[in-house]
Amino acid sequence: MPNDPSAARYTGVAQFFHWLIAVLVVTQFVLARWALSLPLGSHKLALLARHKSVGMTVLMLAILRLAWRLAHRPPALPANMTRFERVAARATHIAFYVLLFAMPLTGWMMSSAKAYSVSWFGFFTWPDLIGKNEAAFNLLRTTHDTMSALLFAVAILHILAALKHHFWNRDTVLLRMLPFTKSPR
Amino acid sequence: MMKKFGLALCAAAALSSAPRAQPPAGYAADLGRSRLEFVGTQEGAPFKGTFHQFNAAVDFAPETPANARIDVQIDMKSVDTMDQDRDGTIRGADVFDVAHFPTAHYVTRSVTRTAAGYSAVGALTLHGVTKDVPIAFKFTPTTGGATLEGSAKLKRLDFGVGQGDWKRTDQIADEVNVAFALTLKPR
Repeated sequence: MPNDPSAARYTGVAQFFHWLIAVLVVTQFVLARWALSLPLGSHKLALLARHKSVGMTVLMLAILRLAWRLAHRPPALPANMTRFERVAARATHIAFYVLLFAMPLTGWMMSSAKAYSVSWFGFFTWPDLIGKNEAAFNLLRTTHDTMSALLFAVAILHILAALKHHFWNRDTVLLRMLPFTKSPR
Repeated sequence: MMKKFGLALCAAAALSSAPRAQPPAGYAADLGRSRLEFVGTQEGAPFKGTFHQFNAAVDFAPETPANARIDVQIDMKSVDTMDQDRDGTIRGADVFDVAHFPTAHYVTRSVTRTAAGYSAVGALTLHGVTKDVPIAFKFTPTTGGATLEGSAKLKRLDFGVGQGDWKRTDQIADEVNVAFALTLKPR
């Protein structure tokens, strides 16, 4: 099917956003788990500071990525996908975009509510979004934690779906997002 | 004629020496309308700490700063950084160690006038270590008292504030800014 629109590859920009944000999100899970395993001390605070800097980086990338996505249409889904599969794919992608904003924003608000301002790798300090509020902090923390579990679940679903497309359906859905590969026609 | 001139001279002399003779007025800080705070830097982000309990005795006359004296006693456990976890750490053995060093003390040794107001050098005893710390301030007489506003910079490690884990200056900056705005009442 040489004219199949689903055979089109994601552009370099789309691949760059996808993989950079993927690596940063995995980093976020590692930093958060690691920090939570430590008692209150300078090591824990250093890890949390790194977690916040990376989180703010994800937020900035998410803004750029959303702007770019709104101006560019991604390659079409394979024609043989069922209606359910299309809805699931669409819902997963929307959930990712929502969480890429919601995770850093709730994290940033958590820091503000706890009176720990967010620095970006020590280069500059972000303004506090809300005032000191222990109750708000607890609520935001629960929200941040719950959404991280949701993000984890969505990511697993996304990875399993990509693998299914590649090994079961044998289409180009995985390859077209992989840099340094060619989608077979 | 000569007598009159002599009297005028005496009066002029009395007037010109009046400021020197003027004793500095004694004030104390009105705690409810005074602030004493510091700003530290943790992982590149500033955080503010406030001392809610302190005593300030100020002897000051604007014209004779040389006779001035500012004496401040700070209750270290009254520190408030707006987070109980952080307050607990700061009061603990590795930072302020309030169990062993419950009060800090600052007393000026010399006060001089500057273009912007006044500057003073005084001895700060903090965490059991005494070192000179200069301050810059403005003194403004008001009806029924005065205000004293100013700032200082100090290096926390000069006073051994931050032991063990908290010694590392890449995590907690060595430099700490202190700011104060005192409302003074006659004592």
